[in-house]
Amino acid sequence: MPDKPLIKVDKLEKKFGDNEVLKEIDGTVMAGQVICVIGPSGSGKSTFLRCLNLLEHPTGGKVYFEGKDTETFTESELTTLRERMGMVFQSFNLFPNLTVLENLKLAPMRVKKMSDQEAADKAMSLLKRVGLEEKADVYPASLSGGQQQRVAIARALAMDPEVLLFDEPTSALDPEMVGEVLAVMKGLAESGMTMVVVTHEMGFAREVADEVWFMADGYILEKNKPDDMFNHPQNERAKDFISKIIGQ
Amino acid sequence: MKVQGKKVILAILTFCLSLFVLFSIQPTHQTAYAADQSLQRIKQKGTIVMATSPDYPPYEFEVQKNGKSQIVGMDVDIMKKVAKDLGVKLVIKSMSFDSVLVAVETGKADVAMSGINPTPSRRQSVDFSEIYYNGGQSFLINKTDVAKYKNQSALAHKKIGAQTGTLQYNLAKSKIPGATVKGMDKNTDLVLALKTHKVDALGIETPSAEAYIKNDPDLAMFKSSYHLNKNETGSAMALKKGSGTLVAAINKSIDQIKQQHLANQYLADAGKYMKVNTHNTSMWHYRSYFLKGVEYTLIISAISVIFGVLLGTILALMRFSKSKILHAIAVAYIEFVRGTPLMVQVLFVYFGVGIIINLPALLSGIIAVSLNSGAYVAEIIRGGINSVDKGQTEASASLGLTKGDSMRYVILPQALKNIWPALGNEFVSLIKESSIVSIIGVTDLIYQLNIVRADTYRGVMPVFVAMIIYFIITFILTRVLNYYEGRMKHAR
Ligand SMILES: Nc1ncnc2c1ncn2[C@@H]1O[C@H](COP(=O)(O)OP(=O)(O)OP(=O)(O)O)[C@@H](O)[C@H]1O
Ligand SMILES: [Mg+2]
Repeated sequence: MPDKPLIKVDKLEKKFGDNEVLKEIDGTVMAGQVICVIGPSGSGKSTFLRCLNLLEHPTGGKVYFEGKDTETFTESELTTLRERMGMVFQSFNLFPNLTVLENLKLAPMRVKKMSDQEAADKAMSLLKRVGLEEKADVYPASLSGGQQQRVAIARALAMDPEVLLFDEPTSALDPEMVGEVLAVMKGLAESGMTMVVVTHEMGFAREVADEVWFMADGYILEKNKPDDMFNHPQNERAKDFISKIIGQ
Repeated sequence: MKVQGKKVILAILTFCLSLFVLFSIQPTHQTAYAADQSLQRIKQKGTIVMATSPDYPPYEFEVQKNGKSQIVGMDVDIMKKVAKDLGVKLVIKSMSFDSVLVAVETGKADVAMSGINPTPSRRQSVDFSEIYYNGGQSFLINKTDVAKYKNQSALAHKKIGAQTGTLQYNLAKSKIPGATVKGMDKNTDLVLALKTHKVDALGIETPSAEAYIKNDPDLAMFKSSYHLNKNETGSAMALKKGSGTLVAAINKSIDQIKQQHLANQYLADAGKYMKVNTHNTSMWHYRSYFLKGVEYTLIISAISVIFGVLLGTILALMRFSKSKILHAIAVAYIEFVRGTPLMVQVLFVYFGVGIIINLPALLSGIIAVSLNSGAYVAEIIRGGINSVDKGQTEASASLGLTKGDSMRYVILPQALKNIWPALGNEFVSLIKESSIVSIIGVTDLIYQLNIVRADTYRGVMPVFVAMIIYFIITFILTRVLNYYEGRMKHAR
């Protein structure tokens, strides 16, 4: 079971102008762990994820990756960091100008300097893994939302990341497509991938997560095992929030 | 902060430009005091370059000779004799009348000869040879008005047309009581104004007036009754200041021409050309002129749009760069170019930059139009880049792609697709706007149009033909672009 801290966050703060979005966030993600982050809209979940791979630069506190302070990273170390932390977005963000296969090949070829053949082989095996090998040569626009998100996951996997960050990966999907994406994510978790997932899919969190973090107003108000979090949350705001999403 | 930085850069740029202009003026003055080697230089070169505006028959105009267009006329014959006397070869550079004096001032040409009157104000900027021909002043009127306007005094309180900035213009203004003087750049336009009764008479040199009445049965003329100083009213050659020895050598040839009454013979020769020339004034007869014009117009626009897109991309990327200096340079460039007229830029590249490197007119035109287009394309591309969803940049960053790779493989391809219609419009507008290069003598469609108008004495028809040609080109181009736009949409 997990023993090595992969990501450590220490008194993390993020302000946009006067707007304090993250306040004194502490947390540790061990290698192989799956963390689910829940919380009301606007509470800072996305910002928190984006601070982890430094798409946003924290305005206070520290983010350590494998024990190294990311604040001291140079531009090239930052790209290396991002290469090792894959990210999957709510709106998929596939490159519409490239085919599915090219979407998967681009970063391995440009960043890892893989040969075209190598990258293509790898891409095909990943597409197989998410069940979309027959879609290799089409453009993303002709895929359903669920298929696009599976391609996006495969694209992130093509870089062999240590961690995958998911920002509400299923909330832009029609209900009938949520399952196929969650299934892929479940498979990843079972294979030992470290994951930080912002999601409101209680079923997924219960089944897969090692820990659930509840965020509100820029604070992490509670960290708990999934069963404890959903059945008897300690924090009043968490209680309120969970009763609402279970009620619906 | 940003705005201030921008201002500083603009100030620096303006400063550099004024320095540049200062430097460009400096040598002209220096040569005035230095030992005069103008004659020796011509002999060493073995050529004498004449700047002229060949839309002024019988002084200078273009004709078709053995299927090739050629500049002929009295001025050309006189200059041929001068060249022969000097023992050098004659090279003729054609350009708009506004440009011929600048051409000698900036060393683009050795002599400007285009039926130029040596007025006192012109004498301040160039040296003049002796007067080589004094044709006298006349008025051109409509034949239907012959009874009404018998002489100059009948023109009081009437509308009189004349070429802007010429002797005829100033004379009409100062010597005809109560007259309204309407100035235009070209005699062809003025004649059209006369025939459509926008003006009642036209102040014009006698030889030109004679050429017009010979070729147009609707026109008539009478001689003026101005009392004129012979030294100011004739035509002379203009040379760069401080060309004393060359002027002296040229004056010798002019003296011979006067003694042997060669000018009248040259005029008669020019008249013969004009007869041949006006024999067939159908536009079809002039198709090779228009074709050549279309060719140059397309060449200039196509090359300029390519370089414009390259430059525009670089400028747009500079605007997105983290480096404040690159950003400021790009902003300053774009603002400066968009804030000055294309015509001025064309003149600046040809005459201004031409002092440092001698650029041919076509190349100057292409450079100026490309530099201009680059600034506009930069803004289009910037808009295109901004129109690409932010998620795309984030997704490529999250994969570890560098900024450059992300731009190249993800953002720019999408940006270009979004701005394809705008780029197409830019190309279409370049085809129209590049017509300005005709002022430095690039033989584009507008230039050819003016040649044909001067040759045929037909004011409207050539304009109509050029208009139709421009329309056909841009119409076809728009269809082609739309087709590809549709195909690109399909590809997604
Ligand atoms: N780039 C930005 N500039 C300014 N403010 C921002 C920026 N990004 C986020 N914010 C603000 O930060 C706060 C938290 O936003 P964030 O997107 O992290 O919330 P969230 O928990 O992910 O919400 P949701 O569930 O709606 O996605 C919001 O008030 C938002 O307006
Ligand atoms: Mg969010």
